[in-house]
Amino acid sequence: MDKKKLRNDIILIASLLIAAAVALTVILCTRVKTNLIAKISVQNQVVEVIDLTKKEDKHFYVDGLHGKVHVHTKDGAIAILESNCPHQDCVHMGYISESNRPIICAYNAVYIVIEGASSYDVVI
Amino acid sequence: MKTKLIFPLIAFIATSCTPKSFVLGSKVFCFDTVVSIELYEGKDEDVKNIEEILKYYDKLSDNYLPRDITNVYTINNTNETIEVSKDLYDLLKSSMEVTSKGANYFNLLAGSLSKRWKESLSQNQVLSQNEINEELDKLNDSSLSLYPNNLIKRLGEAEIDLGGIAKGYTLDVIKDYLDSKEYKHYIINGGSSSILLGEKNLGDGCFTVGMQKELPGAYFKAKNCFISTSSNSEQGVEIDGTVYSHIINPITGSAITNYDSVIVLSEDGYLGDALSTSMMMNTIEEIEQIEKDQNVKTIIVKDEKIVHKHVGIEVFR
Repeated sequence: MDKKKLRNDIILIASLLIAAAVALTVILCTRVKTNLIAKISVQNQVVEVIDLTKKEDKHFYVDGLHGKVHVHTKDGAIAILESNCPHQDCVHMGYISESNRPIICAYNAVYIVIEGASSYDVVI
Repeated sequence: MKTKLIFPLIAFIATSCTPKSFVLGSKVFCFDTVVSIELYEGKDEDVKNIEEILKYYDKLSDNYLPRDITNVYTINNTNETIEVSKDLYDLLKSSMEVTSKGANYFNLLAGSLSKRWKESLSQNQVLSQNEINEELDKLNDSSLSLYPNNLIKRLGEAEIDLGGIAKGYTLDVIKDYLDSKEYKHYIINGGSSSILLGEKNLGDGCFTVGMQKELPGAYFKAKNCFISTSSNSEQGVEIDGTVYSHIINPITGSAITNYDSVIVLSEDGYLGDALSTSMMMNTIEEIEQIEKDQNVKTIIVKDEKIVHKHVGIEVFR
């Protein structure tokens, strides 16, 4: 009777450990393998969707409110290389590869948001 | 314990380990930034309503363009007494009140001074003392008066700029909306400088807040509060070894701040926003006093180091 009880307890503990390991693996795998998708929008309309995990070296030219905006992707990151905006804040941001941190060209109403895994819920 | 309980237990563990499940979301371009809405409860129409609130206050506070309603641009282009909507009236009233709540370096009439600095810094030039004095005279000779029945009168040439408070105020309006629906689980992220946090729907309810710009790798936990951040990391311009900020001291006219970044955790979005801007010019002693008086918590960063942190915040690395 006691042996049966002990066996059941061992099965239960082993199962719980396996379940915890599986859950942890799922969480870690999801974090690592989630695609980083960059979405370029103009005036709240998405005009380009780019999979940054492909790590392609590509140039995009987006029609902003006051002119063309030159966007570049390389090594899984994205940047605005050229814009005719007066303050050039968007260009100064450089290459971004983290979600939660958009690149914004307010003058041209262009923004780039990366969606995908992030270590934090929000970033300041 | 019976073996029959194993599978329900496994299911329970698996579901409780699942990261926060995304329910409803949207991204809106307004206030010259991207505002991200994440609701972990509610309906599609709630997201739409929040989007409408954001767009409406963006229009009201716009000082660059005329819109289809009376807004800040309208006020900046007249010295007549005009009637504004109750919403704009209340926004202006709150913007004037923050000075008495510790934001002594916040002046809503500093718009022209701020614009002039922006134009100058965009060409990598520093304003001369004469130019600064000219703008300060304009500022000191101007006033905004509020009268009953939503009537207001701006006198002088100084322009109103609500950039340092409008987003936080709008988040207050959104919080009122979310409270009226009894929603608790949400993040409204106003482009990282103004964030409204509810509670996460797992664990201790705290969200992790990464300090990517100033202290990469550092983070803290927070829930049920507003987080307002003022920082020179993206809009600061370095000329001859000195960093000039987009945040202007309305008393001296200077564009040099005491810190690289000020983070304020508060119960009111409008106050947190104004304080984070104003505190860039305060001394640490003044900041500590404001923390006590206004029940806010701050983190102050300079030269990639935390130079002040409220005891109620724990920063992890």
